[in-house]
Amino acid sequence: MLSASIPKLLERRTVLSGSMQAVEEFCVDLRRRSDGLLDRASGFAIELLTREALTNAVVHGCQEDTKRQIRCAWRLSGRGFLLCVDDGGEGFDWRAAWNRQAGSGEASGRGVEILRKYASRVRYNDKGNVLIIFRRHEEGRHP
Amino acid sequence: MIAITREGKKAVVRSEGGNFVAAAIPELRMKMRGVVAEGVEELVVDLAGVEMVDSSGIGLLISAYNSLRKVGGRLAVIHASSELLELFQTMRMHQHFSVSGGAEERS
Repeated sequence: MLSASIPKLLERRTVLSGSMQAVEEFCVDLRRRSDGLLDRASGFAIELLTREALTNAVVHGCQEDTKRQIRCAWRLSGRGFLLCVDDGGEGFDWRAAWNRQAGSGEASGRGVEILRKYASRVRYNDKGNVLIIFRRHEEGRHP
Repeated sequence: MIAITREGKKAVVRSEGGNFVAAAIPELRMKMRGVVAEGVEELVVDLAGVEMVDSSGIGLLISAYNSLRKVGGRLAVIHASSELLELFQTMRMHQHFSVSGGAEERS
């Protein structure tokens, strides 16, 4: 839900290195640019989705190789938040991962579940190295 | 900065100004493993001031819970923001350890 109307489309395209530090810098920039435009819950949700998408790209797509690059674009409009991440990696079997729910005691494997629960739409390309996420601004949406 | 307060077999971990996210996990994991290895049986993670916990942070908390359970200990998360409470609820974390809010009241 928007806490104030977005005066115009906000969008940004960037290339980041395959490192966690680059993810942090990207999220700081996203938070700064969207500051005041979203309520706390929506701001939290889009940052969480962004972190999950980029962390997967860094860890699985780039194997945390800082020489590799991730192409990323996001758009914030009155309709919602759109994020596109292309890690250029080997991809993965997203069809198998999509409905998987981590076992109660498992310490990993919750990233895709977070995407599923916080995004309105999630799309992968066939190979699984390009991810597109959309979260609609919607009053009363849970979570 | 990660601060740890010890009192007998209880320890409180605070990540002052930091988040429980992938970039911070190596240091958080080292510190939390350290206190469990020293014999702590009650570990309290104070999330006051923490704005974000991602799936890596959730994994770290589950891992700490698993380690403590092996020695009959327990994990508690306190002062979570309303967004983090909702995330923990959505991800069924309450099945493993207690989670309480109150971060807004403190800040």
